Amino acid sequence: MGATVTSTLRFDRVSFSYGAVQALSDVSFALDSGERVALLGRNGAGKSTLLRLVTGLARPRVGTVWVGDWDTRDATPDRLARRVGSVFQHADQQLFARTLEDDVAFGPRAIGLAPAEVASRVARALAALELGEHVREHPYDLPPALRKLAALAGALALEPALLVLDEPTAGLDRALRERVNRALLERSAAGAAVLVITHDLTFAAESLDRALVLDRGRLARDSSLPGLLGEGAGGGGGGALEALGLLPPPVASLSAALALPGRPIRAADAARALARVAGGESRHLD
Amino acid sequence: MTRLALERVTFRYPATEAPALLDVSLEVTGGEVVALVGSIGAGASTLLLVAADLAPRVVGGRLEGRVAFDGEGVRGIVLPTPWTQLSGMAFTVWDEVAFGPANLGLARDEITRRVDRAIARLGIEGLVSREPTTLSGGELQRVIIAGILAMQPGLLLLDEPTAELDPIGARSLWELVRALAREGTAILVATSDLDALPAVADRVAWLDRGRLQAIGSADLLGSEALVAASLGPTVANVWHGARLPSPYPVSVAQALQRWEQR
Repeated sequence: MGATVTSTLRFDRVSFSYGAVQALSDVSFALDSGERVALLGRNGAGKSTLLRLVTGLARPRVGTVWVGDWDTRDATPDRLARRVGSVFQHADQQLFARTLEDDVAFGPRAIGLAPAEVASRVARALAALELGEHVREHPYDLPPALRKLAALAGALALEPALLVLDEPTAGLDRALRERVNRALLERSAAGAAVLVITHDLTFAAESLDRALVLDRGRLARDSSLPGLLGEGAGGGGGGALEALGLLPPPVASLSAALALPGRPIRAADAARALARVAGGESRHLD
Repeated sequence: MTRLALERVTFRYPATEAPALLDVSLEVTGGEVVALVGSIGAGASTLLLVAADLAPRVVGGRLEGRVAFDGEGVRGIVLPTPWTQLSGMAFTVWDEVAFGPANLGLARDEITRRVDRAIARLGIEGLVSREPTTLSGGELQRVIIAGILAMQPGLLLLDEPTAELDPIGARSLWELVRALAREGTAILVATSDLDALPAVADRVAWLDRGRLQAIGSADLLGSEALVAASLGPTVANVWHGARLPSPYPVSVAQALQRWEQR
């Protein structure tokens, strides 16, 4: 990260309060193109406030939030939408068009894209989340979990440099969580930075690489996700993880309990490691 | 002692032909936790609405079969959308939690005792003076659950009760669910937190497109069928992914035991 490279998102000593309640204190970090980052911490740690600062719904009292080379203080939320696609918690209630397709097209149209470009982005977003069969349906005829995917499709269709998502997997079953995972991997491969608030550490381990942990408004940790989750599962560091409101997800605990080589935190990696160890033993027995 | 009994229940929502529940029979006894698992649209939320006497009575629709509740205590349901469950009549969390017991017509001392106890059990003492509409998702979910517990339900129905909670908060809630069962409450819970169930559920009921496919101990979650249906806990999936033989372990503890005995 040389001085000439502009980060996709940068917090520079940011503080924010609601009246007398200090929500964020002196937070600094930067996200680069293609990074997939989890924003973790217990209920009330300041995660949603941080997202509001990114989308321009709140302005920092102290410090600066940079989205690319824009200071969010100088950019309105609708201008920021050219660079930031966001999905808030309970986004399933934010749909309003008559068909799913129209709802997803709203954002791209609002930022002034040509109709052909709108159509191709909407098609890509719907395909990424496998929502194609529902395009003509009224959003409120869909179950809440699919409405949530529809809101995510709306953010994907902006094809923004930065995607910020608040609890995108809450209320989704495993098959739908996997669709979200694939869509995020696809966007980050295309260069988007992804910032996800989540309590779902299994999802975080599968989809994201880096962790920012907030604790009472302060940035308590900025590290790799395997590093953070692995230290909690391996004994020793578990107390530190728990003090931040976090628990090691089952794969990390399993890897530690069975002493799997490399201590994988993703299910597929753990399965491979387990197969290798078990297979090695049975060959040995033969 | 059976608290809730569904006998061959079929339920259709208004203006739909396809049943949301089809020929479901299920009993829940005082002191036990029964978990409903299934994919989106399997009917778990609908089953809870039927058990709560909200479907068809409030939401409409048609019910065939029989739903029996033994009537001891009230039935309480915690919806997956806690913000829709606020009374709208309380300006503090304490008053919000008191709304239910006050409506049961209890004496003032009894209301106070129950509200303070429910608030302590959910660990929300720090929120009592807050305005309910200013709470975060996780805080609100705890407040709603406290309000239901303050009514001391004999049958507690929970729909995704940990959806808004952080991992430590979720673990505390599952411990509370076990504690309530020990005190005799009958609990029916729909959850996608499959990893929590081996430590929480006495029985697991698998719903698929409105039908009760199987019911058994939490070890059911480690069966080939549930893992294939994306309803296996993480540990079972890893075991399956490693092509080790089924039934798969459902928890880290079980996996370790298997591993040491191999």
